[in-house]
Amino acid sequence: MTEKPKEKFVVPIGPQHPALKEPGSFLFTVDGETVTDAAVRLGFVHRGIEKTCEKRNYTQDLYLLERICGICSHVHATAFVLGVEKLAGVQAPPRAEAIRVLAAELERIHSHFLWLGVAAHEAGFDTLFMYAWRDREVVMDLLEVLSGSRVHYSINVIGGVKFDVDKELSDSIMKQMDFLEERSKYYMKIVTTDDTFIGRTRGIGTLSKDRAEILGAVGPTVRASGVKRDIRVNSPYSGYKDYHVNMITDETGDLEARFIVRIKELYESYRIIRLVLEKIPSGDLTTRVKRKIPEGEVISRVEAPRGELFYYIKSNGTEMPDRVKVRTPSLCNWGTITDVAVGHKLADMPMLLAGIDPCFSCNDRMVQVHSTSKPTQLMNWDDLRNYGIEYYK
Amino acid sequence: MTIGVLFGDLLKSLFKKPSTQNYPYSKISAPERLRGKLVYDPEKCIGCMLCIKDCPSNAIELITVDKVNKRFVLRYHPDKCVFCAQCVENCRFKCLSMSNSLWEMASTSKEAFEVYYGREEDIAILLERAAQPGINEPACEE
Amino acid sequence: MNLPLHPLILLLIFPGGLFLMNIGLLYEWADRKLVARYQNRVGPRWFQPLADTIKLLAKEEIIPYGVHKGLFLSLPVIALTGALTAALYIPMFGFQAPFSFEGDLIVTIYLLSMMTLCIGLAGANTLSRFTIIGATRALTQMFSYEAPFLLALFGPAIAAGTWNIGKINLYAIDNIWMIIAQPIGFIVALIGLMGKLELPPFDAPEAETEIVAGALTEYSGRGLALFHIGKNVELVVGLTLIVIFYLGGIANPLEFILKSAALLLVVTALQSLFARLRIDQTVGLWWRLGALMALLQLLAIIFGRYLGDLLR
Repeated sequence: MTEKPKEKFVVPIGPQHPALKEPGSFLFTVDGETVTDAAVRLGFVHRGIEKTCEKRNYTQDLYLLERICGICSHVHATAFVLGVEKLAGVQAPPRAEAIRVLAAELERIHSHFLWLGVAAHEAGFDTLFMYAWRDREVVMDLLEVLSGSRVHYSINVIGGVKFDVDKELSDSIMKQMDFLEERSKYYMKIVTTDDTFIGRTRGIGTLSKDRAEILGAVGPTVRASGVKRDIRVNSPYSGYKDYHVNMITDETGDLEARFIVRIKELYESYRIIRLVLEKIPSGDLTTRVKRKIPEGEVISRVEAPRGELFYYIKSNGTEMPDRVKVRTPSLCNWGTITDVAVGHKLADMPMLLAGIDPCFSCNDRMVQVHSTSKPTQLMNWDDLRNYGIEYYK
Repeated sequence: MTIGVLFGDLLKSLFKKPSTQNYPYSKISAPERLRGKLVYDPEKCIGCMLCIKDCPSNAIELITVDKVNKRFVLRYHPDKCVFCAQCVENCRFKCLSMSNSLWEMASTSKEAFEVYYGREEDIAILLERAAQPGINEPACEE
Repeated sequence: MNLPLHPLILLLIFPGGLFLMNIGLLYEWADRKLVARYQNRVGPRWFQPLADTIKLLAKEEIIPYGVHKGLFLSLPVIALTGALTAALYIPMFGFQAPFSFEGDLIVTIYLLSMMTLCIGLAGANTLSRFTIIGATRALTQMFSYEAPFLLALFGPAIAAGTWNIGKINLYAIDNIWMIIAQPIGFIVALIGLMGKLELPPFDAPEAETEIVAGALTEYSGRGLALFHIGKNVELVVGLTLIVIFYLGGIANPLEFILKSAALLLVVTALQSLFARLRIDQTVGLWWRLGALMALLQLLAIIFGRYLGDLLR
């Protein structure tokens, strides 16, 4: 009598799941409550942004690229603008660079508070979720007074910034920094001493330093494992050449370490904002940049709240770019989940996913694979639809 | 074993006012730089079309009624607009600004999303032209 | 107080049946409002649970593919019936229990467990990936908290010397509050109640962020409404039981309202304070800490009675 092959029990987290805020498919094979295998599938939020960039001029592209992600919108715009300014051979005035740094750090604070709330919600700790998001409102109001919008600040233009910081705004930012610092210390206390929370985070998802380096992870995920990777420190760009950042690492590499690293980065952001507001250089806000950008190609890297953001821009002398390629930090961190998931309980999976701070909208880019063996296929729209329907049957 | 670290905060929250804003019964005033609906002043406009060149979503169009006397009508689509304020930045004569009081733009009909700005008589001329069949409206130059 | 009403009215309208279900909705509102206030939010208005129930009753009931239809449709009814029947033996709202006999404490506890059993069966019946895990977790949790919870409820019964809840109520009214005499038992009973009702931090069986809605994922419409009403009734019945046993009994409706409200305040505070425990952590906690504490309490009671007999 032949033995029936053992059937796998696969629990899908996504594409539609209360744990994820955006669609992404994770298939965990479980045996009881223990995970034995993990698979990742992405691509649900592909919008064809890179192709659209080639049909619009640089200024329009700036606003388009800003809307790749809602939480890291300013760093996308900054990376693009830095690249284009380098191609055009101009340097934005120092006051503009300082305001860019100010906005970037405010956005980092906003992103980390949001993440704290979401991670607490995944752990079932709704009270911390509500408190963290209540304090996030303070940052969003500050950003609204500075730029006019709570999300998608649109502060950058090619050659500088649009909005200025005056004395009244500067005072109110300083005051709120004190308030937020006190709240962050309180959250640090909760995260490190509350026993129910520690039971969900300590010792879970431990990523050793070697594995983190081999997998190529970036951002606070890898800094929690002891690897010193931070673009603001390793290769400073824009205003960070004047305002130095300290690298924050932790040795343990588990979920608790990632919480600690992100909250400590909050302290660092408060310090930098206070420094910027005290020592902001005076001057004008923009320099004139010609509409046609000379030919060339450039790489620009900035530190988003989630890690290293990488832009490649190729120009051909006209008003529209030839090619824009975006590689976002969340893409590098997926490998850490499938690596670490085996052996943990199913209940830890949402916590692991929240630990790398995924931003799915940033993720979906197209990769072109040249296959020399199979002939290339050309499909029109109807063929593509039929193919999709057949595939999922 | 330390549990319930949040307890002090929890107890205080019971007696504090909830931090939810009771919209629409109480609205906080909008900050000065809020980027709401676009507002156009036809008196200063010279028709250079720089604002339209850089709009990421083709939300504004300038229709020429009379080029020599500088009479223009701006057609604005709030549903396409992304409120980036690039047009405000580009305009050299400060004709455009983003209002900080007109930000509640929900509407139940599509008519609210096609706004004409200009002098009264210009808009009347335009609407009269549109009512006559067979005449194309003057195109907006790129 | 004794109610001189026809038994059928006692069963279906007041204080069982319809009245109890509405009080259940009131308790659900109070629970949600208090949790919201602890979290610095506003919370729902008083008719929200009623509106939810009406909306659910008006929706289409979708029966998934491959389930046993009879079981699927009847399990919510059985669960609600179990919760409502358990209320018959308890002096609710300060009135005497409609039907009481010697030994009804055991029957009440088993009827309350029927709700969890029905949820487990419903999850296993539905054959969806999320529901099977939810059902497994629900039954595992039941096996872990049941023993200490029972022992904690037996403590006052031993002190009163009877298995009749009505008589325990009379004993509790006359004597000192048992929360002072048996504090460990009170803690075990309170936390056991949170486990039975699947309130956070013991809500692993219906963890929203891991398994969507646990065992009840595929339920909609009338079935889900009946399950929700059943859970609310269980909340009322459970709170009343603990008030009777540990907080000095219920002599009249006013005392019922005050004491239940105070206990509800404490339960909702405990709900908001902790992160969710994993199912293996829950089982470990209960079998190690909970059972030990309950046994300790039981030994203390037996010892106390022995000493009391000696001294007399």
